[in-house]
Amino acid sequence: MKKLPLRKTQTVVVILSFVSVMTLFMNSCKVSQKVAAKSGAQLWTENCQRCHNTPSPSTFSPEQWETIGLHMQSRALLSNKERDKIIEFMKQ
Amino acid sequence: MKKQYLLLKIFICFSWITFFQNKAGAQQTVVDSSLLDRIAALEKKVAEKRSGEDHFMVAGLTSIGFSSYKTTNTLNGISAVSKGNSFPDANHYEFSPMFLWRHGKNFLLEFEPSFNNNGLSVNWADVSWFAAPGLILRAGYFVLPFGSYAKRLAAGWINKLATDPMGIAGMTPTDYGIEAEGGFPLGDMKMNYDIALTNGSQLHPDGTLTSGNITDNNNGKTVTARVGLLPFSNASLEVGVSGMFGKVGTPGSVTQDAKGNAYAFDLNYVKNFNPVLLNIKAQYNIQNVSNVNYINPVDTTKTYTFNNHTVSSFAQCSIRPVNVNSFIKNLEAAGRYTMYNTPGNSTFGSDQHAVTVGLSYWLNWRTVFKVTYESYTGNSTASKDLGAFTGKTTTNTLFVQFSIQL
Repeated sequence: MKKLPLRKTQTVVVILSFVSVMTLFMNSCKVSQKVAAKSGAQLWTENCQRCHNTPSPSTFSPEQWETIGLHMQSRALLSNKERDKIIEFMKQ
Repeated sequence: MKKQYLLLKIFICFSWITFFQNKAGAQQTVVDSSLLDRIAALEKKVAEKRSGEDHFMVAGLTSIGFSSYKTTNTLNGISAVSKGNSFPDANHYEFSPMFLWRHGKNFLLEFEPSFNNNGLSVNWADVSWFAAPGLILRAGYFVLPFGSYAKRLAAGWINKLATDPMGIAGMTPTDYGIEAEGGFPLGDMKMNYDIALTNGSQLHPDGTLTSGNITDNNNGKTVTARVGLLPFSNASLEVGVSGMFGKVGTPGSVTQDAKGNAYAFDLNYVKNFNPVLLNIKAQYNIQNVSNVNYINPVDTTKTYTFNNHTVSSFAQCSIRPVNVNSFIKNLEAAGRYTMYNTPGNSTFGSDQHAVTVGLSYWLNWRTVFKVTYESYTGNSTASKDLGAFTGKTTTNTLFVQFSIQL
């Protein structure tokens, strides 16, 4: 097996460590009841306006909101639960 | 006799019940048959329009505008003035349709070509896998997680002003590689992370950096990462720290051992103070390239060196009276200060700053008409020995811009 140069090894170790620590951290994290109880409407207001004006639910169809939801999740770095609640609200 | 009478009553009741049941049944059969036909037709129509697992859509944005400027270059006490205008504004025209292709709920392809003053280019082209809660994996050509401006705020229909803060988006390049990111709760707070491994920036003969090269110029990959914290439960404040580390030199050239590192600190605060929505954005970037010798452009047999250290920052504040019942609620006033210092004693060194103010009128949540005025001053710190301009430049520009998300 070809031995990796030290710099490459360090890079791989740093990345793997970072992802491992973040994954461990995430799984050990608990959401507070106050945050968990937030509605889709509340999350829509709080998170969308961090960057831009709050969009109108009538802008896109339910199918389109599913797609836009994934795109925006990666921009705003929302959790899956936040994304799902906002999408459900926008689809109504 | 009583018994016979009772039996007769029971018989009559039973007969009536049977009669009505049959009648009702007959009616029910007729109604059901009609309804069933209609339901079957509707089911067929619905089946024909079933969307399936895949979904494709086009979004995107465009910005178009007009600019009028006056530039004064001063060198050794002598000034030269130039004026001009452009329609559309050459630096801020953009037409960028974004293609989104979703496969189920776990895969998303994003492709955004852009037609602008540089011709036809690509903003991003990548595939994302929503692998697990709090973990999105991405590969392709994407905006690096360095600061928050380029990835979240640069779009014309999001930006409150017609111009980008100089030295901010440019230091946050797009590159080829892989990325992992996600967000997760932390009690009342939230955290997010974003880490990328890419080809990295390349050092040019004059000491400037570029990125987005599909072929790496060296075997060292660049790591870029950002960690963000939203300390309040209402997500009104986000602070982020970013770092970028990698080799930038090209093997076989005079800069082959050069390494680069960069750091960014960003802040985003949005809060409704009834009736006004307050919006504050800020970012501070630092970029360093290790000391190497560069070829002198005046005499290519000689080399020179300089401290390749660049700093840029901006702070922006905007207010919008969102809870006022008149057209005023569509107006948003914004102001920004930008600083951008490039390395002294190089061919491009300059201490620059700009003050930008503007008023926007929001036609709806994603359509805006902006009037922006920018006053720029640049004092050259470049080396006279390298044939560079060493004077002062001031430019005042008025922008009128229309931006829409499509």
